[in-house]
Amino acid sequence: MRCELACSYMQTGTFQPARSVIRVSPFEAHTSYAPYTCTQCAEGWCMTACPVEAISISPVGAKAVLDDLCVGCKLCTIACPYGTIFYNPETRKAFKCDLCGGSPACVEVCPTAAIEYEEAETADWLGSFAAERSARHREAQLAGAEAR
Amino acid sequence: MATRHVIVGGGTAGLNAILAIREHDRGASEVVLVSAERPYSRMVLPYYLGRGIAEAHVFTASPARLAQLNVRTHLGRRAVGLDAAAGKLSLDDGTVVEYDDLLIATGSSAVRPAVPGADGPGVHSFWTLEQARGVVAGIREGTHVVMVGAGFIAFTILNAILALKARLSIVEIAPRILPRMVDATGARMVETWLARHGVAVRTGATLTAIEEAGGHRRLRFREGDDLAADLVIMATGIRTNLEWVNGSGVRVNRGVLVDEHLRSSVQNVYAAGDVAEGRDLVTGEPAVHAIEPTAMEHGRVAGANMAGRDVAYRGSLLMNIVEVCHLDIASFGAWEDPAAEACAAERPERFAYRKLLWRGDRLTGAMILGMADDIWTTNDVGMLKGLTQAGNGLGAWKAHLSRNPFDVKSAFIASGTTARLLPQTILGRPSLPAGLVP
Repeated sequence: MRCELACSYMQTGTFQPARSVIRVSPFEAHTSYAPYTCTQCAEGWCMTACPVEAISISPVGAKAVLDDLCVGCKLCTIACPYGTIFYNPETRKAFKCDLCGGSPACVEVCPTAAIEYEEAETADWLGSFAAERSARHREAQLAGAEAR
Repeated sequence: MATRHVIVGGGTAGLNAILAIREHDRGASEVVLVSAERPYSRMVLPYYLGRGIAEAHVFTASPARLAQLNVRTHLGRRAVGLDAAAGKLSLDDGTVVEYDDLLIATGSSAVRPAVPGADGPGVHSFWTLEQARGVVAGIREGTHVVMVGAGFIAFTILNAILALKARLSIVEIAPRILPRMVDATGARMVETWLARHGVAVRTGATLTAIEEAGGHRRLRFREGDDLAADLVIMATGIRTNLEWVNGSGVRVNRGVLVDEHLRSSVQNVYAAGDVAEGRDLVTGEPAVHAIEPTAMEHGRVAGANMAGRDVAYRGSLLMNIVEVCHLDIASFGAWEDPAAEACAAERPERFAYRKLLWRGDRLTGAMILGMADDIWTTNDVGMLKGLTQAGNGLGAWKAHLSRNPFDVKSAFIASGTTARLLPQTILGRPSLPAGLVP
């Protein structure tokens, strides 16, 4: 469960597996285990569902939540059919796997190399769909940096 | 000549149609938006009411964004007539807009019961931005608010009203609260929860009049005591905005009847969102799902088809989630189906409740109540949506889930649901490159 610890540290700055966005499930009475996290599905159910466009595409291709824009309405949590977008009742924001900006901590700490990180080509149709959402991510990051 | 698309309605359905059109044609066609209001998101109005966000945060498409998308606008104008045979739309200022294809996405409006005083001073609806402004101006610390109606819309603003330290009472005509979102067990749990948080709930209460008494409101009921209020919110339902379509030849039942391409009975007229009656994903029957996710999906599919793609929509999944004082309440699909096989379990120590509904070994509906800070609540909310949406038989995992509706994750992963869901995108395009599907 090292991945859960590392993930929660990246997400929150503290070691709280309850705030991890990768979760390990035991099977067959703990004889096997499966780590489970966001697939970064191309159309992004969470991203298209967000009513204020608070989820966009980060430079490493992750669907990422922009905290300044998220109002905490939870629509993304019912839109995502994979159960991989979460809600933090303290911040009242949604949170999810953002691939740690391109070097996922879960991969680095896994002692058995059971988690791999590979960059994959995206399909052609994603061109303008992804470009607009990537641009929005950059603009929102810039606006957020200026506001701070 | 470039194709002329006209979008009537600037809400979620209309804006998603515009985005989908532009994703496909990159600005080549003409797009005209007719919207009575400047586009904003209804979903976030409760957060504006609770002062969590500024009013500016509710707007979804600024004039600059619409210009960037090469959209011409008639803002502040309403459609008043549709001549589908001639391809002409009339607006309330006398303008006639010609189109090659048109999207009906005029949404719905709040309705109030026909009782004396229901339109009087201090009585509000909470549906449009303008109405939200009225409620925002009327509530401060100590204001006694009476909410008439205990459905989904009422529940979306309970947290905001409580955050403003107002006193809140809820009255509901039905024998229980949230009649279209949870079953009797769920309703009883939510009522207990509300009582713990100081919210008075009165069910089976038929409002007969709202009287004005020295700047306050007095609500009268068929039975029982009167209720005094400073401000009344009527959360008593919505109706579709379709008067302007009358006589156009477009077939309307409960909403505009649409096929799997979101086309109406008129070939070049589409409908999306609250006004559309399209396929229900679970039952396969026509249904009006006046919810945000359906508006988004309808809008994207209609837009893609208007832009010349051939996208068949699988249908919309009924779903709702609302949080009250950190209690999450969610339901999916045919959660109320009397012909389904149902299994339910309660965990009183966690204030949690689950109900799963089956047709054969297929999960067709689900209901979930649980604390928002219980990680298994949000995890399972998503996975139950996924299992209902995927629609595949779960075989032996049905028995497992029926015995323990709290162990959703094992069933989800072991039944290979992720791989089944990945090809099921809204616009029917593969979600991951072929070699990467787990």
